[in-house]
Amino acid sequence: MVKKFHKELKELNKDVIKMGVLAKEMLQKSVESLIDLNIEKAEWVLSKKGTIANMDDIIEERTLRLITLYQPMASDMREIACILKMITYLNRIGRYSKDIAKLVGDWGEKRHVKKLISIPHMSDLVCGMLDDAMKAFETKDISKFFDFSDRDDTIDELRYSIFRECLSYMMENPKVITRCTNYIMIARYLERCADHSCKIAEKIYYMVKGVRVEIDHSSETSKFSLKDRFND
Amino acid sequence: MSKENSNKVIHVKNVDVFYGNNHAIKDVTMDIEEKSVTAFIGPSGCGKSTLLRCLNRMNDEIVGCKTNGTIIWRDIDILSEEVDPVPLRRKAGMVFQKPNPFPKSIYDNIAYGSRIHGIRDKDKLDKIVEKSLMDAALFGEVGDRLEASAMSLSGGQQQRLCIARTLAIKPEIILMDEPCSALDPIATAKIEDLINTLKKKYTVVIVTHNMQQAARISDYTGFFYLGELIEFGKTKQIFENPKEELTENYMTGRFG
Repeated sequence: MVKKFHKELKELNKDVIKMGVLAKEMLQKSVESLIDLNIEKAEWVLSKKGTIANMDDIIEERTLRLITLYQPMASDMREIACILKMITYLNRIGRYSKDIAKLVGDWGEKRHVKKLISIPHMSDLVCGMLDDAMKAFETKDISKFFDFSDRDDTIDELRYSIFRECLSYMMENPKVITRCTNYIMIARYLERCADHSCKIAEKIYYMVKGVRVEIDHSSETSKFSLKDRFND
Repeated sequence: MSKENSNKVIHVKNVDVFYGNNHAIKDVTMDIEEKSVTAFIGPSGCGKSTLLRCLNRMNDEIVGCKTNGTIIWRDIDILSEEVDPVPLRRKAGMVFQKPNPFPKSIYDNIAYGSRIHGIRDKDKLDKIVEKSLMDAALFGEVGDRLEASAMSLSGGQQQRLCIARTLAIKPEIILMDEPCSALDPIATAKIEDLINTLKKKYTVVIVTHNMQQAARISDYTGFFYLGELIEFGKTKQIFENPKEELTENYMTGRFG
């Protein structure tokens, strides 16, 4: 019985990793489709929205089934709890990718206000965080989380700089307002994806160490700062 | 665990138990908190029941059983030979795996202990019986047929009757040795609810094979393996994030 449980948990684990790969691919492709306003790529992302939502449902169902049948404890329980939360965050990342792809599909004028630099950079950073989080989930090695709050900070800063930049373009030329609002929204979506990656990292930290932490740069708002744990 | 807030009443210190040459308990030290539920878990033969039976000296009844170490309760070492086990067992009542009512009426089962202790007054006995049955959450079910034979009750009711019988002699500690393993899930749930109520007034120590049960009802949990106390701590920590690898392996079924 226990062997069967661990076998099923392992399979579940593999499917979560697959879901992580899909979420990252959707995010990457959505930003790529934005860079060269490639409708085909955008449509690919849109077509995957249902797939990732299904994965969320199916994995959740299997997780609940395992809880009901085996009432797991200790590290098994933590792993299942982690999976249950992770799939929600991964699904959210998939949905933000879909939102970005949708904006690309509706892009009126078929060119950018200027060459995109910050948004692709932001996307690379977010994908890097998501990648590290998924690797940590696979290997249970959480050492990559030590600079997550710094990386999250950088992404927040980029979002603000995109916002300010777009604001000045819009003041100069009202014709770019639609596109610039889209850039601001996309930057916001990417920033949210980074937050979700941080949440995933927090859950993985709990899975591995059994301790709840918060990836938060400001020590005033953070109850259990991850940074402090690495500094100890 | 904050030592300042806790109220440890039973101090088990370096206890060893031998059944002949078999070293059943090896140097166990733990503090049991008052008015809380402490659960002992572990695989069969790990010594959890043996330690439980040390707490009211039931091991004295086993030929060839030798106990070393001290168990301090109210400044007295209850393992000392000067301590009479009979009054000790009144203070530390026990409930067993299989319900063991006397082949008598429900009323007589509960009044039995009080009568032995010299209470003859019918009104007093009535009150004791009623209160004990109330406290054991059984009065509602059997209050109108106290003269019926205890053997006519269901297994779950019999077990609660045994708990009521224990409560009738006003113990301070209630020791339970797998009290639910012979019961169906509904009867088990009732006993678990009861244990939750009992801990307001009594110190409960329970041995259970059902880890989920230990997680549900206990405040502290001790994990035993091959006679050793491997890990002891707050239940939440033991089940969520055990510190010892052995505990972790036992909980996740990766044993052996």
